[in-house]
Amino acid sequence: MSEMRDLKEPSQPLSDVRVIDLTDEFGAYAGKLLADFGADVVRVCADGEDPIATIAPLVPTVHGEVSTFERFVNTGKRIWDWRPETPGDLDRFADLVRSADVVIESSTLQLERYWSTAEVAALAAHAVRVVITPFGLADDPVGNGGDGSTGAEPAGPAVDDLLVMAEGGLLHLGGYEDLGPVVAYGGQSRFAASIFGATAAIVGLMARDAEGGRGAVYDVSAQECIAQALEDSAATYSLTGQVRDRLGERPREAGTGVFPAADGYVSMVAGRLGTAKAWTALVQWLADEGAPGVAILQRPEWGEFSFRQSPAAIDEFTRIFTEFSTARTKAELYEHAQARLIALSPVSTVTDLMSNPQLRHRDFFVTVDDPALGRPIGYPRPPFKMSATPPRAPRPAEAPRPTRDDLVAGTPGERRNAS
Amino acid sequence: MISTPGPLNGIRILDFCWIGAGALVTKTLAELGAVVYRVESRTHPDNLRLAPPYRPGTEGLEGSGYFASRNPSKHSVALNMATPEGRTIAARLAAQADVVASNFRPGVMARWGLSYDEVRAQNPDVVYLTMPMQGETGPHASYIGFGSTIAALAGLVGLSRATGRTPVGTGTHYPDHVPNPGHALVAVLAALRHRARTGQGQHVELAQLESTVSMIGPALIAAGAGQEPEPQGNRVDHAAPHGAYRCADGQWVVVECAESAHWRGLLRAFEADGERVDPRFVTHAGRKAHEDALDEWVAAQCERMSRAELLHRLRAAGVPSAAVKTSQDMVEDAELWARGFWQEIEHPVIGTMPISRTPFRRVGAPRPELVRPPLLGEHTFEVLEQELGFSRAECELLAHEKVAY
Repeated sequence: MSEMRDLKEPSQPLSDVRVIDLTDEFGAYAGKLLADFGADVVRVCADGEDPIATIAPLVPTVHGEVSTFERFVNTGKRIWDWRPETPGDLDRFADLVRSADVVIESSTLQLERYWSTAEVAALAAHAVRVVITPFGLADDPVGNGGDGSTGAEPAGPAVDDLLVMAEGGLLHLGGYEDLGPVVAYGGQSRFAASIFGATAAIVGLMARDAEGGRGAVYDVSAQECIAQALEDSAATYSLTGQVRDRLGERPREAGTGVFPAADGYVSMVAGRLGTAKAWTALVQWLADEGAPGVAILQRPEWGEFSFRQSPAAIDEFTRIFTEFSTARTKAELYEHAQARLIALSPVSTVTDLMSNPQLRHRDFFVTVDDPALGRPIGYPRPPFKMSATPPRAPRPAEAPRPTRDDLVAGTPGERRNAS
Repeated sequence: MISTPGPLNGIRILDFCWIGAGALVTKTLAELGAVVYRVESRTHPDNLRLAPPYRPGTEGLEGSGYFASRNPSKHSVALNMATPEGRTIAARLAAQADVVASNFRPGVMARWGLSYDEVRAQNPDVVYLTMPMQGETGPHASYIGFGSTIAALAGLVGLSRATGRTPVGTGTHYPDHVPNPGHALVAVLAALRHRARTGQGQHVELAQLESTVSMIGPALIAAGAGQEPEPQGNRVDHAAPHGAYRCADGQWVVVECAESAHWRGLLRAFEADGERVDPRFVTHAGRKAHEDALDEWVAAQCERMSRAELLHRLRAAGVPSAAVKTSQDMVEDAELWARGFWQEIEHPVIGTMPISRTPFRRVGAPRPELVRPPLLGEHTFEVLEQELGFSRAECELLAHEKVAY
């Protein structure tokens, strides 16, 4: 029992909560977030297979290639190498579900793969079930229609991040005018779906607390999660009929955009959305540094935002600023622009981030000795600071273990009383 | 008062979240049942109230569709925070709020006498959310940015590019829309649950840089293990083709072949004679090794058909595929309407427009009914009367003196 969380520790918002994690790539980060807040998260991997173990980036180790996606999103979890064919293991799984406060599932309803609807209703009567799928569940997913079906939907062709980003409308906005849509790095729809999955889990717990312990099912659609990111484009279409297209390398107005530096790129927003002062500061900066062409930008018409939105102004500014920015490093541009209250940032490489003085000052990277990777590595800590309940520091996910009698101790009620 | 039935009923939020990321946090909290008092002022309006889109012919502080999309189900309380009286009223509201939320630069709330320590002195169990760009401590704590520059600083833009081209990221201020409101929401809800269990409030700080860097966490660990990731564009190791392709009507589709059955289906969809297709494309390894040529061939095939026809054929052939949906596609998506993702609201200045709900639902329960976004100061008198016991005459005087303004 030494691995059980300390039941007397009230210092975490979810320290009384057990989470069963039955997720794929769209839901696994949700479990990590709940673990960050102190939940006991048990990830169940049937036959030791983790469906996210092959997701890029992969790094070579003495044990073969290891997914750093899997390492990151399984941080803080316990892993059960569950053997469905082993006598007694289905019962152990049932005990585990009975002990759960939250069950996170993805791809489809997972519990219905093993039990009938009625059995699941009994096993998970007190659990908040959060089902994270690419496009959401059917209207009556838990099979109340009386046809005896389990409600589990057959798996269609595998849906991945690119498909969800396309169906969620964000892919259309990224990329280049000539090359077409290019997806954002890193599987953003997975993270989006998981963040709202974790939100739904905590909301569900609060509702359960208020409703005398009755469980419920929450349906999280990754498509809808990504559709939160459409910015002004949905409202623009609704109010004007205009369909926003991808901007590509061409900014919407002079003063905004990604520009080359001597050692990479910088990103800037100056002159829009109430940053008129930043435009003035930007022109002054160029003047103070004797930038060629700055006299053009000092002409009166450039003071008008509408003028700066014209294609000619965008091109002229890009020419003048590019000549200025390519002669300076990212760090120089960052420092000088920020000193003048201009919103300019370097386009960081991953290496830049690891030596970023602000992140280092705030101890954003925590050294984790992860046996699966064979060396100590700086893991990002949870991205929130909480004065009364500091989130847990990252701990590597355990190696999967087949025998986990320690997993199923206690029902939710007993644990709540104990805590 | 606007109160949506939900698990946060009884929670009152004093909301200083302007523009982007923070406004989505309090939008969701309102949908979950909290009462949100959004503090703003005619003397210093939220910049989002001045941001397009506008329906043609409707401009001004009440006309922004962008503002509307982020602020349904909230109350608007007009307080001129440049006045001592305005700050005093805000402090009194903060003293009885469950949550005080802001996303200003570090120092702004303190200048108004609303730092965490000051609010906590009057309201010990408050949950106090701040969303500074880089955190409230550290050498870059005072630096400024927008969603797009935060995405750049956080490494997401640099990894989101085509080979040899300027990095473009998502083409939006993405951190404002999902990573930062999302992480803040999870943390505030956790803090509220902790408070419900223990009575203890706290300061929740969501540094937007750290939140956005977390979205590429696996890349950082890979770099730590000696493998700095490279931009991949739309490509992945396990599938080819795996990308976006233009159709005859100028629309785009995504096509993916992870399995040989998908590839065979693709050939059927294109009515391509397997015997005459480039022999380099027969195996997955061959398609990966010659992916530029493969993409060129797939693109040429896709350009022969409209998006609708191509998708029909791809689906019939079992090929993983999707429309690259535009904003028009999204707003007109029957499935999203059927699921209740969109709700049409009626606004006195803007007219009707769809607003998206929080992207999850409780099975068996209706989704929260959104209330149209508030006009600036629409609820000022009501809130001052009900929360602080002001008389109508006092409210009118405060408005006349441009305090409640």
